[in-house]
Amino acid sequence: MTALWLLVGLLVGAVGAALFLRRADARAKPIIDTAEQAASRAAAETELRAARIQAALDALPIGVIVVDGDARMVVRNRASDDSGGDTHNEVLVQAAVQHHLRAAVRGEERSQTVELYGPPRRVVIVHAKPLNGKGAVATIEDVTERSRVDSVRTDFVANISHELKTPIGALAVLAETLIDESDPTVVSRLAGKTVNEAHRVAKIIDDLLELSRIELSGDLVIAPCDVAALVGDAASRNSYAAEQRRVEVRVCEVPPGLSINADQVQLASALGNLVDNAVKYSEVGGKVTIAAFPENDGVTFVVTDSGIGIPTHDLDRIFERFYRVDRARARGTGGTGLGLSIVRHVTSNHGGAVTVESREGEGSTFRLHIPDRPAG
Amino acid sequence: MTMNELRKSFHHDLDDVRAELVHLAAFVTEAIPRATNILLTGDLEGADYIISGDDEIDARALDLEDRCVQILALQSPVATDLRQILAALRMIAEVERSADLVCNICKAARRIYGHALDPSLRGIITRMGEQAQQLYIAAIEAFVENDAAKAAAIDDMDNFLDALQKQFVQAIFESHSAGNIDLQVAVQLAVVARFYERIGDHAVNIGERVRYVVTGWMPEHKGAARYRSRTDDTGQTLRPNPAALGSAIDDAAHAHDEPTTPVTADSDANGEGPGGV
Repeated sequence: MTALWLLVGLLVGAVGAALFLRRADARAKPIIDTAEQAASRAAAETELRAARIQAALDALPIGVIVVDGDARMVVRNRASDDSGGDTHNEVLVQAAVQHHLRAAVRGEERSQTVELYGPPRRVVIVHAKPLNGKGAVATIEDVTERSRVDSVRTDFVANISHELKTPIGALAVLAETLIDESDPTVVSRLAGKTVNEAHRVAKIIDDLLELSRIELSGDLVIAPCDVAALVGDAASRNSYAAEQRRVEVRVCEVPPGLSINADQVQLASALGNLVDNAVKYSEVGGKVTIAAFPENDGVTFVVTDSGIGIPTHDLDRIFERFYRVDRARARGTGGTGLGLSIVRHVTSNHGGAVTVESREGEGSTFRLHIPDRPAG
Repeated sequence: MTMNELRKSFHHDLDDVRAELVHLAAFVTEAIPRATNILLTGDLEGADYIISGDDEIDARALDLEDRCVQILALQSPVATDLRQILAALRMIAEVERSADLVCNICKAARRIYGHALDPSLRGIITRMGEQAQQLYIAAIEAFVENDAAKAAAIDDMDNFLDALQKQFVQAIFESHSAGNIDLQVAVQLAVVARFYERIGDHAVNIGERVRYVVTGWMPEHKGAARYRSRTDDTGQTLRPNPAALGSAIDDAAHAHDEPTTPVTADSDANGEGPGGV
């Protein structure tokens, strides 16, 4: 009996102990859970904050790299990973970034403009700044477009003053010489030169006015244009200059009945300028080919020459006003430096595209695509 | 330092060497179009900039070589790691020499300063510059990506550069005969073409070193195998029967009515290698 009570007592004790432990466990568990939850919540918040910061950094158009006090990378955004271009360009930019970050970690603020020759040419500004003695931050900004626009603006002022002042200066000198000249032969020669320079100024003013008219005319006079007639007209208008230079102008057969709704005056001007350009920059005895064909709901005009060609680094600038590839040679051709600019504006007014492919010594091919528009 | 740490440090050093080598090659890649433009525009200031910049390339190449030698001496790498270091040592020399050739183009630009070049000459110079740069870009990418296939393609790309060089030399003759350039300029231009061609060859060599790192193969293996196939067990070079060869040469000489020297075993002893035969 005593043994039985002892056994019951033991069982009750065991159950009691189990219940106590369970309760104790039940009491303790919420405390542990809360601490874990808090830690997990904190971790999640930290993660979320980090993700937000990373997302914000990734949204920036400039590259950002943050390093710690030992110049080890802590964070970097997407733009800093790949700033575009070939591997060697990327290597050079990253090398500049690392170099300046090391200096910034030592407490020096650094900035460098890295000009990459490409192609394509790129200009990148690398700036590194110390972060209160606890590392450094570097920014990588691609300023290629800004640099190009600056260069266009600067060159435009220089070019326009050169183009306008040169013939006016020549006129003044010729007139001064004529005043004191009595020899009829010399007078005749100087007068001829004066007339040439006057014509040159007149041509520049005509082209400037035409360019201005094309730029300002918001409303195009859209009407059906006979493509064969446009091409033929462009060839015949340049036939005299072509004969003078013994350049053969060949018109490829245009599909019969091909027409396009466009501003005839502007289109004729653009095409005329392309042919004029091709003839001017062809070698004596060269060949110019004009073709037109329907393409992508419009018409593509192709003017090909076997001329001197355009250097690769000038190709993206030739449509600028007064831009000259070779100033010395251009003056001899009698051009004003506005022809291709007119072509670009006419194309833009029609919502089209003009492209050029060229190799020095082999010639150039200009493609002018004009989309068809509803007549109005 | 534990073995693991040692290994980590070794790979860190190896990565540094690779990164610096890529950096040097990137300098050269960037300098090629610059030098072409300097040559075509007569940019004397630009020429000075490139020429003075070569000292930095030389200094960095020497530093890099020292680091490679240090790794070899201190870490005794084996297998792929050893090939990486050996290849890097060879590639440093290729890159450094290419930088010298870019400088030489700029020096040539100084010598022909003021002389106008025909558009056809200018066009081919531009294309040679572009092609040489493309070869170098491909070499860098093959090295960075350890891509043996890309590295093998560089050789084919070089054929185009070689063809351009030949075309350029022809254009120089034509321009000189037309009286557009004088002899001095013609010679300088021919030398410039050679510089571009050599830059291309160095890019090909870099590609071959990349193939060596990845596959352990080198183009010299072909020649070595040919040589061994001509060597017997005693180490003597196996040669065609001199009597038969002599009669064949006699026949050829009679056919062309030209005197010839019979090839004998003595001529080999006098220093003529297999190529001489």
